[in-house]
Amino acid sequence: MSPVVITPRLTLVQVYAIAKNTFKEAVRSRIFYILLAFALCLLLFSFIMGLLAIGSLRRVILDMGLATIAYFSAATAIFIGIGLIYKEVERKTIYNVLSKPLSRSSFILGRYLGIMSVLLVNLVAMTLVLAGVLASVGAFTPRIFSAVGYIYLELMILSAVALFFSSVSSPVVSAICTVAFYLIGHTSSSIPSFLVPLVQSAFAKRALLLLYHLLPDLNLLDINNLVVHNIATAPGFAVRGVTYTLLMVAVLLLASSLCFKRRDLV
Amino acid sequence: MDYVLQVTELKKSFRGHLSIGVHHVLDGINLSVPKGVIYGFLGPNGAGKTTTIKILGGLLFPDSGEARIFGRSSADRSVRRRMGFLPETPYFYDYLKGAELLAFMGRLYGLSPSQLSRRVPELLETVGLKGQGKLQLRKYSKGMLQRIGLAQALIHDPELVILDEPMSGLDPIGRREIRDLILSLKEQGKTVFFSSHILADAEMLCDQVAILVKGRVVQEGILEVLLGSEVRFWDVTLRGLETFSPPPGCSVLTHRGGQVLVRVESEAILQTLLDKARAEGASVRSVMPHKVSLEDLFMAQIPGGGP
Repeated sequence: MSPVVITPRLTLVQVYAIAKNTFKEAVRSRIFYILLAFALCLLLFSFIMGLLAIGSLRRVILDMGLATIAYFSAATAIFIGIGLIYKEVERKTIYNVLSKPLSRSSFILGRYLGIMSVLLVNLVAMTLVLAGVLASVGAFTPRIFSAVGYIYLELMILSAVALFFSSVSSPVVSAICTVAFYLIGHTSSSIPSFLVPLVQSAFAKRALLLLYHLLPDLNLLDINNLVVHNIATAPGFAVRGVTYTLLMVAVLLLASSLCFKRRDLV
Repeated sequence: MDYVLQVTELKKSFRGHLSIGVHHVLDGINLSVPKGVIYGFLGPNGAGKTTTIKILGGLLFPDSGEARIFGRSSADRSVRRRMGFLPETPYFYDYLKGAELLAFMGRLYGLSPSQLSRRVPELLETVGLKGQGKLQLRKYSKGMLQRIGLAQALIHDPELVILDEPMSGLDPIGRREIRDLILSLKEQGKTVFFSSHILADAEMLCDQVAILVKGRVVQEGILEVLLGSEVRFWDVTLRGLETFSPPPGCSVLTHRGGQVLVRVESEAILQTLLDKARAEGASVRSVMPHKVSLEDLFMAQIPGGGP
């Protein structure tokens, strides 16, 4: 009998179909709109706060606005990401999908691209509102777009982490682990800048630096403060940030695929 | 013979809670499904039917042995382009509409949007869901979900269709429609492999069956051969008899208002009975031969289920 070949084109079509379905799943759920509406309200609230803070209108709106975007996007990424694989298995919807000529890696990639497209739409909506608020008080700066770009890079990592945990554990455990990753990622930079100068022993210094290199550092992607205080980023910052993100995402997606590849779907 | 599906010495076990103990579900099963037949995979609950079907669908991995579809391992996803699959009690994305689900599944098989625009309405009509394509799946009844499940299994016009309990959750009309659909698939030259515990449906549909009990195939073959053509007994209904003493080898099952139902063990005694009845002025209302049914065959294989 003639063999049927799975072409790269078919794989692309499949990944796109899974991503599109993931997007539909998110935008047809009520919780997505509740989170988005809450974030938009907070952005408008930053405008009111700015009016109250006499003389620092621009700084307050930018500071609150970017922080709102960062936190709500992260919350959405974690909330959707932790159920991406687990819920499919739990609800048994995965049986119909993986019994098609679709590889499990393509499924993982499709789910990931789906959540990234949801987060992109989310981010664009919030950024447009922030830009509008800033423009209304004559404080618009195009640098908010770079700040949001870095937030998106962080979301790429965070979603990949949530997806990884979702492929191996329950949503509660995944949520705890992903939030822990987020908190560690935003505090690990204090190891070289704060802890290392405090210790005397060369061995302890080396151990702390090794620990720092083993932990994620999401502050490498955080330029919100620089934008708020109108400080330029160091040369090579963008290249380092993008490389760091792509490497992290590649490793996490590969790990998710490997964990999921031979898993029995009971 | 040209087999589209062959299972050889397939074994599968699962670890218990906290990895304590091993539960052997499949204990070295063998199956051979020729091209173009309707093949019934029968067995009581917990026999291992769904586990086998999940291995065929690439959802589970066997401990040992192999399952080959179109000559290739069932784990090879390229074989699934020629195979349709319906899992037991299918669960779908309930936020999708019926037509959207079919289009989504069709895309996973690589069907183009133009192919889908023709195929989706055609299939909705085939499974009796015409006009329901724009309804969200969360509003579908259990029977409608089973139908849309069948439709998604057929979206790419596969050569082999594997269905796990396709009649489950359907009312008698729905079951009949699905039976007709399965028969029409056979007429189109497709091979249908389905599991069921509804023996009456299986007996009506199947060319071949396998009976699975506790992870082992205890019977496999052509249904007619397995059941045989021999009549086991006859039930004869006689009318116009107030009293009747049957000849040896017969037993009266009921005698009410001049009507007698008699069970006869052999053809020779049947003739004696009919002669005696006529001689006593009775009229023969019916003579019903009973062959071995699939249920008899099935029950004989189940421990404690035999006659």
